[in-house]
Amino acid sequence: MLKNIEELKEKAKYIRKEVLDMCVKAGTGHVNSAFSSVELVVALFYAGILCFDPKNPGWKDRDRFILSKGQASVLLYPILADLGYFPREELDKFTKADGIFGVHLQHDVPGAEITSGSLGQGFGIAAGIALAAKMDRELFMTFALLGDGECYEGSIWETALFASHNRLNNLVAIVDRNHLCVTDFTENVIALEPMEEKWRSFGWETTSIDGHSFEEILKSLKGFRSRKSSRPLVIIADTRKGKGVEFLSDAPLWHGVAPKNHEADKAKEELNNYDHELQF
Amino acid sequence: MNYNSKNVSQRDAFWTRVYDLAKENKDIIVVSADMGAPAFDRFRKDLNSQFVNTGIAEQNTVLIAAGLALEGKKVFATAIAPFISLRCYEQTRVYLAGMKLPVTLVGVGAGFSYDDSGPTHHALEDVSIMRILPNMIVNTATDSIMAAGLVDLSLKMSGPNYVRLDRKILPPAYVEKDDFSQGLTVLKPVGEINIVATGSMVHRAMEVSEELKKQGMDVGVIDLYTLPVNEKLFLDTIGNAKKIVTIEEHTLAGGLGSAVAEVLADNQKAIQLKRIGLDLRKGYCYKYGGRENIQFLSGLDAENIIKNIMSFK
Repeated sequence: MLKNIEELKEKAKYIRKEVLDMCVKAGTGHVNSAFSSVELVVALFYAGILCFDPKNPGWKDRDRFILSKGQASVLLYPILADLGYFPREELDKFTKADGIFGVHLQHDVPGAEITSGSLGQGFGIAAGIALAAKMDRELFMTFALLGDGECYEGSIWETALFASHNRLNNLVAIVDRNHLCVTDFTENVIALEPMEEKWRSFGWETTSIDGHSFEEILKSLKGFRSRKSSRPLVIIADTRKGKGVEFLSDAPLWHGVAPKNHEADKAKEELNNYDHELQF
Repeated sequence: MNYNSKNVSQRDAFWTRVYDLAKENKDIIVVSADMGAPAFDRFRKDLNSQFVNTGIAEQNTVLIAAGLALEGKKVFATAIAPFISLRCYEQTRVYLAGMKLPVTLVGVGAGFSYDDSGPTHHALEDVSIMRILPNMIVNTATDSIMAAGLVDLSLKMSGPNYVRLDRKILPPAYVEKDDFSQGLTVLKPVGEINIVATGSMVHRAMEVSEELKKQGMDVGVIDLYTLPVNEKLFLDTIGNAKKIVTIEEHTLAGGLGSAVAEVLADNQKAIQLKRIGLDLRKGYCYKYGGRENIQFLSGLDAENIIKNIMSFK
């Protein structure tokens, strides 16, 4: 567990470099989708939010982290390797014949709970897990990280209705609101705003934060295990797709594309010089 | 409950058996997409904490079922057959099949059993699409005794399973002590010509076989209720038979007949095969007048099938 914000920022910087390195080596991967979620997932795993045990991935009392936006698996894998779920060398084998994972999340990777990649599905699994915990009076929490583009899937809203009706206050959804989907900005494709009001009207407790600010992320999760509300909690995290590398940021054409050659070098250089304070 | 009773539907036999077992096992959970059944009323009342209603939202029904199964629950998820098979197909593919989760999908209304409801409620492609998924077992109930037996079988499985129940009360073909773990049953001794059928068409096959007997033809009947086909048992059972006729109240594209054809082809069996079922080219049936009428219009009535078999040279 990292004790202060500076350490978390350093970890975020390290993870971004790992993500970029994996994708450049493999010539594929969703760099941008991963970068918008870095602070969110780093906070969950390194700031003492999630309970887990890398030596015992199936530990019954662990908190469940469901990566519903499965294309960001390239963000989760270096974190799991860093935490000791599997050797770091596996990252070099991303999408390779002797590797254990590809672009989308798969359940047989140590530390991953499910397969995901087809959008709108992991969230429902998370609600099923949270319901099972309620049935068995288990105290673990279930987190689901959703993409905002994923919220176009109708099944997201089936689950949202279900979770609030069943008072799954042991479920926390985080929506990575990076404002972009594949071809364009969400508000140009089909407007998702007002996002927070949509979730509220579906019976969720809502909060909106800057998804790149560790201070705001941690504040939004304060006391999350003992909330008085019976409602599930959704955190709408305002982010930038590609955050950390300026030319990748907010650029629709970079969806699912790994930078090559001089662009890869440029991206690496930007990350090396990345100053968290200035960026925010 | 006496599952042998002529007044018990497959649905009520199935859910009564689930109820009886769920009373003793708190990990048995029913997830319903707002499906009604008399047997559910008692389940909801007595075992409320084991009954989950997702509303009419089959995608979420399967996802919730999958999440519960990941946490060790034995889940039965149910809706009308086309909805629990087609509407949420990708959720079933990725999670139940892909992660091999022990969830039993229960589709009510095999074939034309919702005869008054039109083609939105007919289940005519579900066998084809479910049987092509890895790890998925498809079981079509022939009568209420088998329906109840499939509950016990489902609970022993380590992966997913799709149970197709008929909406109508079908006559008994089995007795309570029968075992349904082998995937097929010889109901009339195998001869030169044999009918392989499933679900309601097993009863049609028996009727046709009786009629043909009067005309001097001995026709065997095999109830092939589980897919994938138990190949070894099937091949041992048909032995040196010369002809096989498959009958299904389902599309010919990828259904029971296709499954039999695959087994014969893959094992280099030079047995003549005729498939009787629904022809895609005719489109959906928007006619009513009862199931018998719809079957007649689709060539699945006894007279048409007899003609078909008689002309099978």
